[in-house]
Amino acid sequence: MEGLKKPQSFKIRKFCKDNIGLVFILPWIIGFLVFKLYPFASSLYYSFTDYNLFKGMKEYTLQNYIDVFTIRAEKKALIVTFKYAFMTVPLKLVVALFIAYILNFKIKGVNLFRTAYYIPSILGGSVAISILWKALFKDGGLIQNAFAIFGLSAPNFLSDPNWALFIICLLRVWQFGSAMIIFLAALKGVPEELYEAAAIDGAGKWKQFFCVTVPIITPVIFYNLITQLVAAFQEFNGPYIITAGGPRSATTLMSLLIYNNAFKTYEMGKASAQAWVLFIILLIFTIIAFKSQKHWVYYSDEDGR
Amino acid sequence: MFNIISNIKEENIMKKILGAVLATTIVASTVLSGCSAATKTEGENSTQQAEEKAVTESAQVSEGGYEECTIRFDWWGGDSRHEATQKAVEAFMAKYPGITVDVNFGSWKDWESARALEYQSGTGSDLTQINYSWITDYNVDGKTFADLKQFSDIIDFSQYDENELAICEDVNGALAGVPIALTGRIFYWNKTTFDKAGIDTPKSLADLKAAGKVFAEKLGEDYYPLAVGEYDRAILMSFYLQAKYGKAVIDEELNFNYTEEELKDGLDFINSLEEEHVIPSIKTIDGDGAASFDVNQKFLDGKYAGILEWDSAAKKFITALGDAGELVVGEEFTDMGESTGVSTKVSMLYAITNTSEYKREAAMLLNFLINEPEGIELIGTQRGIPQSKIAYETLEKANAIDPVIAEAHTKVMDAAEFFFSPKFDDASLKGDGGAYKDVFGGISYGEYTTDEGAKILFDAYTNATK
Repeated sequence: MEGLKKPQSFKIRKFCKDNIGLVFILPWIIGFLVFKLYPFASSLYYSFTDYNLFKGMKEYTLQNYIDVFTIRAEKKALIVTFKYAFMTVPLKLVVALFIAYILNFKIKGVNLFRTAYYIPSILGGSVAISILWKALFKDGGLIQNAFAIFGLSAPNFLSDPNWALFIICLLRVWQFGSAMIIFLAALKGVPEELYEAAAIDGAGKWKQFFCVTVPIITPVIFYNLITQLVAAFQEFNGPYIITAGGPRSATTLMSLLIYNNAFKTYEMGKASAQAWVLFIILLIFTIIAFKSQKHWVYYSDEDGR
Repeated sequence: MFNIISNIKEENIMKKILGAVLATTIVASTVLSGCSAATKTEGENSTQQAEEKAVTESAQVSEGGYEECTIRFDWWGGDSRHEATQKAVEAFMAKYPGITVDVNFGSWKDWESARALEYQSGTGSDLTQINYSWITDYNVDGKTFADLKQFSDIIDFSQYDENELAICEDVNGALAGVPIALTGRIFYWNKTTFDKAGIDTPKSLADLKAAGKVFAEKLGEDYYPLAVGEYDRAILMSFYLQAKYGKAVIDEELNFNYTEEELKDGLDFINSLEEEHVIPSIKTIDGDGAASFDVNQKFLDGKYAGILEWDSAAKKFITALGDAGELVVGEEFTDMGESTGVSTKVSMLYAITNTSEYKREAAMLLNFLINEPEGIELIGTQRGIPQSKIAYETLEKANAIDPVIAEAHTKVMDAAEFFFSPKFDDASLKGDGGAYKDVFGGISYGEYTTDEGAKILFDAYTNATK
């Protein structure tokens, strides 16, 4: 009898032993199911309805998804989001890499400069900085007065649709500190011998930068590109506080449009559909970036490279 | 030997499993209890729980026959209203010891969306100041706000006319809120700036149009007799249309009464004010970077010499302007058509949320603010001239009716002929992505012609009143 029981209890013991890790990660699983998967699934469901928070749901519909690409305001938000992302990300990466390259030199007070350049990225996301930015660039603000001192006529930064988006971009580019620190760490990892070899071959500083430094740090460039792209598509604070999406929706990014639809007009179905479209777009860009990396990202531990 | 080793291994595995389960339980219960304390999922369940709690819990009852409790009260407004209301709340707490009132107040910006979500999630304050349109917007099924008729032993409804209360009922005939005051829009002029320009404050539309040219010539291009944002323009246009065509934009039966051509006429009127330098463009106002005119530097400097505001809002602008200018009440224009075209509405109401666990105590606070002398005198005219008869008499006796607000209110009420429908403030019209901002801003920025704007506005009004 005991010999018959042992295999069953042995199976149970083996199962528990093999899967004990699952028990330890159970809090994460519960959190994921409750705070990630359930909201994901709910928003996907509501995106196919006309659900209004106060008026309820009347029908299932694909109209929300069609509207994202046909309704003027929603199309515009999509275009503005793309403009913002493709303006901010390259600018931020270029500035961050340039400053990191300079701060990689052994110059007096370099630590002070590194700290000074890093501070905006700590402060930048705050409401206070957005309000300060608004005060700087509004009509009659500090920047316009500075232009006037030199006898120049400054544009209406916040009320001109052509300038307003650039001002929001500028706020995000100003916070290049975190990307700069990552680039700095990568630059320090470039072997000195490569620079010596390049110098012996007659390469100047610019050649060394583009032919030695940049290829070596492409993994870090790739990392920063992905993280900054994701952050840019999700930008909210600047447009919300500085321009409230104006003037004339010139700074209404998709995230702000989703917020307005969800919490101002309570069109939850519409907002859910817009959020899913944004998610899919971001997913596509991320997949493209990952697929393309084999063509331009150099990993020193890869065979034959 | 192998059995012993096997048993030891088995024990170790069981200990690990037990340890893991205990750790998981502790962490999960900490996380989930923190979450569940912060949110209520269904308003209805909360209402039921509140009722059950009231019945089953043995609460401490004071000598005055009310429960000792803490209630929450929220309102929006300017600094002067906050100060006055807080003093009134302190007086209430002194009069009714045992009831603690936690207050929440702020400016109008983003106030509505924050409160709406609270009502939906069942976490709204016990006593809440609401807009007239919130009865239809956030109380669609009549479940958000309690029926105040059940507190007729606490709230003295005899101070109101029946029809004043009737318009505050919800779809189920329940009294969703008590009207605090009636209000309408009227012009306010910075007399100091008009004196600088050497002209009187406008008494008619003709005067206003003439003032535009004078301001540009004598004071400069950045001086304007009047400043109106998108929503203000919608109201000014409604006055013009109602005066000219003699029918409400949206009437009591929620019918939208205008054609595209008539709307175009109204938009042309607003456009003409911009062209004649009477009002600044929306682009100019956007560039000021101010959330409202009382914090707009150009208004404070006297460059915007007029506003079109609610009669109850006078104090906020007078306080903001300070000694920099003298703000005087204007006239409702009679030369826009057969009448003034002015419409009035219930300015704001006090309501009690259905999820309140202490509705009777909230009703006591409500009655204190609108019907009891101590509350009335402290609140004063911070929410306009009170509609409650005893409130008006109390303030009149104490000479506490602010003369500026009284003047504005009298002029508005004397000129009022039309009903200001709550649908006029529907989120699809008035909200940040709404039709008013789109159309009036679009025309001002030159993105739309008035024909195109009229079509968009017509569709928006039609959808809002469907």
